[in-house]
Amino acid sequence: MQLDRAWPWISTVARLGLAAVFLVAGGLKVGDLAESGRAVNAYQIFDYDTSKVIGAVQPFLEIALGLLLLIGLAVRLSAAISALLLVVFIAGIISAWSRGLQIDCGCFSKGGAVANGDTQYGLDVARDAGFLLLAGVLLVKPRTRFSMDGLLMGER
Amino acid sequence: MSKGQRDRTAAKRIVEQQKAADRRRTVTIWTSVAVVAVLVVAGVIGWVAFSSQEKKNTSALTTPSVAVDEGTAFAFGTGKVTVDLYEDFMCPICNEFENASATVIDGLISQNKATVRYHPVAILDRFSNGTEYSTRAAGAAAAAAQGGKFREFHKILYANQPEENSSGLDNAKIIELGKSVGLGDDFATAVNNKTYDSWATKVTETFSSRNYNGTPTVVVNGKQVQSANGGVPGPDDLTKAVEAAAG
Repeated sequence: MQLDRAWPWISTVARLGLAAVFLVAGGLKVGDLAESGRAVNAYQIFDYDTSKVIGAVQPFLEIALGLLLLIGLAVRLSAAISALLLVVFIAGIISAWSRGLQIDCGCFSKGGAVANGDTQYGLDVARDAGFLLLAGVLLVKPRTRFSMDGLLMGER
Repeated sequence: MSKGQRDRTAAKRIVEQQKAADRRRTVTIWTSVAVVAVLVVAGVIGWVAFSSQEKKNTSALTTPSVAVDEGTAFAFGTGKVTVDLYEDFMCPICNEFENASATVIDGLISQNKATVRYHPVAILDRFSNGTEYSTRAAGAAAAAAQGGKFREFHKILYANQPEENSSGLDNAKIIELGKSVGLGDDFATAVNNKTYDSWATKVTETFSSRNYNGTPTVVVNGKQVQSANGGVPGPDDLTKAVEAAAG
């Protein structure tokens, strides 16, 4: 079947795409952990001390997840964890949106306050939903080309 | 092919399939363990980075003796209404706010209509090519306050504001500006030794823990002031807010 042969390739693209997303997102935040903590705090979900810890740990987790996806180790599990993270991010954005907070989501940037009308929650949610779709593809079809999984399973 | 041969071939295939299934199971288990381990290690690295940063900030903390509001601001004027200004020296919009509202703020202070408290926060360190200009400038402002020249220094620092994504003003230039408003050797020493840089971090943390996110943030008697469309307030917005708070 044509599609059966195509899936590993589609999944490979999804895997590398998702890896890039997490590597970029984590890489942009890891240089200024205090800033990352402030971005978490801007959501006003956790108190400031908790936000600081989340803000410091999150970039490292994102980079680790990105690297795991890049080499393709336990792709289904990595994808599941990615999906979980993305669901949490989307929930956070929707929560900030519904409370009328004027913040940048801080997904790939500094986060924090923005002027009235400069928020783009809809766009942020749509983008994260797109990433969630990539994770979904990998959850259903975790077999990919050029992966550690494939190497260890003895696939050619 | 005899029946015996066919049976042997079939049996061999079943054994091979089982072997492959076993291998898949083993690989899945161990790769999953590896993934969890990698994520745990990443989390620990994050935690260590976080706590070493915290430790650095608390151990080096020197609070200027002239600071008020839990040691995080410098107050001017004696009016009943409290005006809190949270500003970053790297922030262009803060500069615009200062230029637009300087006369109003000066009036509030000189006519004793308000106590104006300046909180020099540092949220824009990433815009100075790694030289952390926001922190250095805020630390220098604390040294200037200690030397009794905060407002003068504040003004001249905004007048010489560097572009975002430049390296900011270097310490020599900061000291030169300080001397031009009458600050002396104590100021220069504090700037060179980064005496108040950890204090700038503390001011920033206090700002964040109060759930303020952007600069400038203008607060009158505990209530954030914004323009009609939710942006940075202008001089009229500030005047109105102070009058309303005065009752």
